Amino acid sequence: MSQQHTFHQIALDNGLTIVGERNPQARTFAAGYFVRTGSRDETAPVSGVSHFLEHMMFKGSDRRSAEDINREFDELGANYNAFTSEERTVYYGAVLASFQDRLLDLLTDMMRPALRESDFDMEKNVILEEIAMYQDHPQFRVFDLAAPRFFRGHPLGNSVLGSVESIKGLSRDAMMDYFVRRYAADNLTLVVAGNFDWDALVAQVTGLSRSWSSSGAGREHPALEPAGGMEFVTDSKLNRVHLAFHAPGVSAQSELRRAASLLASCLGDASGSRLFWALVDRGIADSASFSLDAGDGSGTFAGYASTEPDRAEQVRDVFLEVVRGIQDELPSAAEWRAAQTKAATGLTLGGETPFGRLISLGSAWSYRREYRTVREEVEAIMNTSLDDAAGFLADRPFDRLFTLQLGPDAGQS
Amino acid sequence: MTSTSDEIRSTRLDNGLTVLFESMPWLESASVSLLIPAGSVTDPTGLEGSASVLYDWTNRGAGGLDNRAFTEKLDALGAWRGGSSDREYSVVSASLLASALPRVLPLLADQVIRPELADAEFDGATELVRQELRSLTDRPSSRLFEALNNAYFESGHGRSSYGTEEGLAALTPSGVRQDFEHRYSPDGAVLAVAGGCDWDELLGLVDASFADWRGNRFQAPEVRLASPHATHVIADTSQQHIGLNFEAAGVDDADWYLQSLAVGVLSGGMGARLFTEVREKRGLAYSVGAAVRAIRGAGFITAYAGTTPERASETLSVLRDEFVRLSEGVREDELERARMGSLSNLVMHSESSSSRSKALAGDQYLRGVPRTVAEIQAAIEAVTLEQVNSWLAQRPLPEPFVVTLGPDTRAGGDAQ
Repeated sequence: MSQQHTFHQIALDNGLTIVGERNPQARTFAAGYFVRTGSRDETAPVSGVSHFLEHMMFKGSDRRSAEDINREFDELGANYNAFTSEERTVYYGAVLASFQDRLLDLLTDMMRPALRESDFDMEKNVILEEIAMYQDHPQFRVFDLAAPRFFRGHPLGNSVLGSVESIKGLSRDAMMDYFVRRYAADNLTLVVAGNFDWDALVAQVTGLSRSWSSSGAGREHPALEPAGGMEFVTDSKLNRVHLAFHAPGVSAQSELRRAASLLASCLGDASGSRLFWALVDRGIADSASFSLDAGDGSGTFAGYASTEPDRAEQVRDVFLEVVRGIQDELPSAAEWRAAQTKAATGLTLGGETPFGRLISLGSAWSYRREYRTVREEVEAIMNTSLDDAAGFLADRPFDRLFTLQLGPDAGQS
Repeated sequence: MTSTSDEIRSTRLDNGLTVLFESMPWLESASVSLLIPAGSVTDPTGLEGSASVLYDWTNRGAGGLDNRAFTEKLDALGAWRGGSSDREYSVVSASLLASALPRVLPLLADQVIRPELADAEFDGATELVRQELRSLTDRPSSRLFEALNNAYFESGHGRSSYGTEEGLAALTPSGVRQDFEHRYSPDGAVLAVAGGCDWDELLGLVDASFADWRGNRFQAPEVRLASPHATHVIADTSQQHIGLNFEAAGVDDADWYLQSLAVGVLSGGMGARLFTEVREKRGLAYSVGAAVRAIRGAGFITAYAGTTPERASETLSVLRDEFVRLSEGVREDELERARMGSLSNLVMHSESSSSRSKALAGDQYLRGVPRTVAEIQAAIEAVTLEQVNSWLAQRPLPEPFVVTLGPDTRAGGDAQ
């Protein structure tokens, strides 16, 4: 079992870091490029460029056309995907272990895209369709509306998708400029998990990335001075009320991250949490959740609930009361232990496949330059003390909870 | 120690419960899926939504423990509870550390055999299902699939698993309790376990927890289809959501694997035809795809695309053209990619206890027997290009059922 897992790391001369956890028993191999870039690294005129660029990375390199890339992923039978958030962009895939070199060749080649004008113009339509699609997902849109209001000018409030206007106005050259700065070798980490041949992998990627160079790409960390209070957005097309909640949290680098995350789980887990009992179990809201989003240098708590318009006020009040209430009534020993045990099970389950393991491995490395086995992390969670949570709550962070209500009427009644 | 398991252990208890087990000794986890053939298709007429409410109600306390005590006990054991009530069946499921199985399994048995079904919890259960039903109004693509299934089936298979407003309003605690006595029966139910535990130990646990379960088999109605037609659902949405259903081979059909690979050519990956033609070449949609669906006694192919209203007509005609082009045959390289996708997917799922326990239970329900990973792999590998193309050539493309949902500008108005 996990005793047989070995950890490997190397920094190449060009600045690229490779880290991996090898499991000789796995039948599959997973690899991903973690790019330290996202909407928080954008300026307003290029809002949405990180996410648009993520699409363009699949459109071909000097060696491959877009069709080649799609076809090759299919030939490898790869389970693969990419995502862009406020602060990172990740390209990852898993294949049978025998395809190690082909997956690495493909992903590494993709990291140096051609960004052809004709592909850029066509893909713009797809991005605009994606924006339209999310317009039909109020459970997503409510967070897009809440973020700039809560973050008040802090770049974490930037939209990942961008707006119809910013996307329409974006040029290929502006994207290329962004790419050159943000996709330099020293802003990328290659993360691998599962069954692999480390020496062959290092030799192959060293060869493929020979022409890459570093840019010293930085990141702004302005002080976060978030909003509190409540705001309302009306959309007469909607039938239900969607509520987003935000409060300042702790960063992915913070020693308090486990305690804060367990605290959020006590409050807003899908079952057995305080919000579950107060809202979902009673059938007042069809969904209610609360979790910690621990990011680079800062973190936030995010909550969500949805209900009928005539119950909006009740759900809002109960939600705020429950979340704030934990500052006065700490989790019981049983609540805390259940949150720990659930987190430990989740981590163990996720770590059982290379594809599942990749993201937690990559996150730990990119945020903390740290490696822990699943067992070590489980142990750390089980040893996280309720006192840490108490210390964190002593500052009463949830008194500053921000609420945004999106629904068919103003609902200020 | 090996990382693949090609043996499934099974037994049937005297009360009719089928027990399946796949050993995955390299895992620390175990997953349990307990499938009960009670879904919206067998909801009593006039009481649509009963199976969903019943499922939720059984989650609210069992074996002498009230709602909170029952949930807290499972939470304390670190069990990740899943499960849902769907069209054909309800599934109670959990993933856990294998060492917790002896303490979790009896609780899951309590949930389906000895639920409290307390009066005080009935309103909460009903209200939650009602809220889920109403939340569909803000989820247009889910709403589209509900409408598409409703248009496709004449039998109860097209019912929403959330029931109807009228059905939910007509439910009473005593009526739903009666439904429980009737439909939650071991005969026809399946208990599937996969992971790092032991068959002999499992048998002992099952015997202790499930042997005294009693009840008679409950029959689902025959599948009946409506006649192909096109419908537009008016909704104030940004996108036009387009859905198509085609009648297709079911899991019992000898051609099942040929059909799966043919649809893989259409929509197996990002290099497949639909993604290439609709998204890559024309930029018509962000989300587009097709998949084979199976219920007991029938199979069908569902296709979906979401696009802005002004491009809906073109999107629909590209989708339909691709189905016509598929019936004209596939190329060798396309088939090989679809095959590799299926095989690779199979291996990836075989690494997870949760995927395997769900697959075992689903197979037993649909096919009456579970398939090993090796058996599925062999069947996929045996398919030849000639078989796929002659099958496609012999089978006339059925007329699709078309449902669109969006603003009041009909997509391809005369879709028929």
